[in-house]
Amino acid sequence: MSDTLLELDCLSVDYETSRGDLKALRDISFDVKKGEIVGIVGESGCGKSTLISSILRLTAPNTRFREGEIRFKGRNLLAASEKQMRDLRGADMSIVFQDPMQTHNPVLTIGRQMLDIQHRSRSPKAEKLARAARMLGALGIPDPEARLKQYPHEFSGGMRQRIAIAMALMSEPDLLIADEPTTALDATLEVQIIERLQELQREMNCAVLFISHHLGVIAELCDRVVVMYAGAVVESGEVREIFHNPKHPYTRRLIDCDPGHIKTRARVLPTIPGEVPDLAALPQGCVFRDRCTQAMPHCAAQVPPLSKLEEAHHAACWLNHGEVPA
Amino acid sequence: MADMTVELQKKTRSELGQILTGVARDPLGLMGLVIVGTIVFCAIFAIWIVPYDPVAMNIKDRLQGPSTSHLLGTDQLGRDTFSRVIMGGQVALKVALPAVFGAMAIGLTLGMIAGYGPRWLDNFLMLLFDTIRSFPTVMFALAVVALVGPSLQTVVLVVMATSIPTYGRVARTQTLTLQNSEFILAERSMGASMARILGVHMLPNIIGVLAVLAAMDIPTVIALEAGLSFLGLGVKPPTPSWGALLKDGYSLIRQTPWLVVGGGLPIIVATLGFTFLGESLRDVVDPKLRKQR
Amino acid sequence: MSLLAVKGLQTSYGAVNVLAGVDFEVAAGETYALVGESGSGKTTVIRAIAGLAPAQEGSVRFNGREIRGLPERRLRPLRKDIAMMFQDPVGSLSPRLTIGSLVTEPYRIQGMKDRDLQAEAKRLLEMVNLPAHFASRYPYQLSGGQARRVGVARALALEPKLILADEPTAGLDVSVQGELLNLLNDLRERLGLAMVIITHNLNVVRHVADRMGIMYLGRLDEEGTTEDIFADPRHPYTRCLLSANPEPDPDARLVRIALRGEPPSLLNRPAGCEFRERCPFAQQGCTRTPQWETEGGRGLRCLAPLKSEQAA
Repeated sequence: MSDTLLELDCLSVDYETSRGDLKALRDISFDVKKGEIVGIVGESGCGKSTLISSILRLTAPNTRFREGEIRFKGRNLLAASEKQMRDLRGADMSIVFQDPMQTHNPVLTIGRQMLDIQHRSRSPKAEKLARAARMLGALGIPDPEARLKQYPHEFSGGMRQRIAIAMALMSEPDLLIADEPTTALDATLEVQIIERLQELQREMNCAVLFISHHLGVIAELCDRVVVMYAGAVVESGEVREIFHNPKHPYTRRLIDCDPGHIKTRARVLPTIPGEVPDLAALPQGCVFRDRCTQAMPHCAAQVPPLSKLEEAHHAACWLNHGEVPA
Repeated sequence: MADMTVELQKKTRSELGQILTGVARDPLGLMGLVIVGTIVFCAIFAIWIVPYDPVAMNIKDRLQGPSTSHLLGTDQLGRDTFSRVIMGGQVALKVALPAVFGAMAIGLTLGMIAGYGPRWLDNFLMLLFDTIRSFPTVMFALAVVALVGPSLQTVVLVVMATSIPTYGRVARTQTLTLQNSEFILAERSMGASMARILGVHMLPNIIGVLAVLAAMDIPTVIALEAGLSFLGLGVKPPTPSWGALLKDGYSLIRQTPWLVVGGGLPIIVATLGFTFLGESLRDVVDPKLRKQR
Repeated sequence: MSLLAVKGLQTSYGAVNVLAGVDFEVAAGETYALVGESGSGKTTVIRAIAGLAPAQEGSVRFNGREIRGLPERRLRPLRKDIAMMFQDPVGSLSPRLTIGSLVTEPYRIQGMKDRDLQAEAKRLLEMVNLPAHFASRYPYQLSGGQARRVGVARALALEPKLILADEPTAGLDVSVQGELLNLLNDLRERLGLAMVIITHNLNVVRHVADRMGIMYLGRLDEEGTTEDIFADPRHPYTRCLLSANPEPDPDARLVRIALRGEPPSLLNRPAGCEFRERCPFAQQGCTRTPQWETEGGRGLRCLAPLKSEQAA
């Protein structure tokens, strides 16, 4: 318990829509330990964005928390008051968004914005500015003092994402949530930023929840990985286990699909035919069943539970159950 | 061009239904819809609704209060106020609808051409719009009326001319935004003509915004017509107009308040009705809001 | 003779010199990939070829005929042979049109009145493995992968000779990306299409492109067959790009060649070799301006090219 920072316990979240309840998250359980980098992998429609907004409690008005808890340092966030959440956001947990071009207020200088996020601190302005400059420098922005006087539009996308990370790390949070922070960037900038993030994370020992669909980045950065599909966790475990010994057909197929490990020109690339099921009208049984080549009759009958296969390796697939219950 | 109209028709039919249901779901929108519906209904069937000839004088029964025979009393010439209010609604719409929709159609066309066409044409049209806009509407109306005399058509033309720039500017901005979107580039890459790009691809994406603007503009025009008529510069007497009613009632407010009520209340109700409808339409048509539905 | 020959293509917006002389050729049936960071001018190149972006200097020959600067009227018949695909799968489809109208749009634009548009729509959707009832849907009802296939169907409607595709896999999930690349590979073989593909995803390039060119600041810095470039990158920038490709394997031994800083501003191009300030292998002599040199099917613009083993 003591070293667990964030814990999601059987979290189920629905969206009320005119078509009925959209079951965006179902029975999500995983945890993030102090100082650890956990990657969340999943394709569109897997529920990544709902997950992030649920943790931050910044959900749309039609969101309904049906079941489960989100515990941060042992406290259930779903029961916290709005005031308590405000005190938490940007202090104990902060976030970096996907689009660096829209993260910053365009009419304020970077320095001004970095002062504003230190509003909780009572230190003098000069000291705050110096801290801001140090942080920018730590993220590899040259000549940070001068650049504090500039406006967001004077920076490139890669620079802006570094600034966003610097701002998120200013409060020395215990948890940094990074929502596809490098997706909008070129590969060269992507690796630069990943490397910086890794360095700073080690230095500050903050935990990171890193959301990405880029398997290469996840493999390089993360200690543990949670694989999501259509609003459910299908597999979770230590990064090597997931990449070398995947136990869920979806994880396996997803890794196969990444053209990054196919070194010679392939005539036909592997794919996962089919579509993600409609979350408002979920099929019976396993959600991946329609697209799974190894589906068995039992898969249609019952949702496979996320069961422990080894220490720190969980998967939700009936194939891993020696004897399938009839 | 033939297939373009077919596509638009198909589109509008299904979409109009969607929009109307959206508006009806919102309480204010529903209220607006009911009020506007009532006004339009009364205007169309005015001749059958009015209990008296709205211009027939009956000096004997002048300046009466409300009674079973005269719901809203009579004016200084003994004309039935209720009948005049109903007919006044028809006059108000006869001015507002052609003025607003005329302005919208012309503004839309010019605005799209300004936005998509060559730079010099854009500059010229913008200069034209700004010139027109720099005339204060009421002063401009006064000047025109002084020149050609008051009439329904004059009011329509003046209002139309002065509101074209508003629609034109909005249409131009929308066109400029859409111009760099990938679907327009895709059409250009296939060699689509300017008429096709504007008519088939831009128009359906712009018209919603302008329709909302128009719905919000109608009450302004109704009030303007009333104002001009109040000044005696709008619709010629004895044609009943809400503004004229108000004017008659204003001078006789000590003898009977009913004329002011008869002229003022419909203006207020119509303004609110169209505004509610416009606001609600905007919420439904706004693509950002619609995505969340 | 090449199907497409671009020579010395230059584009400027005011003082910003976006393309500073681009040369490459694409043979019939060949796939050519343009690779580079954002701002390197990839998109401008294909838009300039298609007449959607201005090009003040240079030449674009299609089937031997000069098409740069042709007025739209004379370009229109040629547009049957050159189709484009844009980055945003959904955003490149006119939002108020049905999928059926969208895929048959090219026939209408080219005034082919004799075609049975409904039958054509069905045939095109079938070709990209979409069910026929999709014809009555609207773009916003499609997933990214489906919308992308509609884009492919529309591009193929008039059986073009050349497809210009801007980031065709952008915004697609990995599981769907393969489907699209397989489809493109398959159609290309069946129809003998030539393609110019823009992408920053080198993993994609390896599987679809016959040849590739690496762009930096509006110029080609290196060119060659895909195999050669991957096996033996000579330009330091190419090597940096290739090494910046994260591997989906936690145990991968990565030899990263760090690129210093960010691309310089186009308003203020560096003197000498424009890559010098970011180059990990820059030498004294790199203050001179390198020339584009070709040899044995490879092109290179570098004063200090890397040897095969160097830094590997």
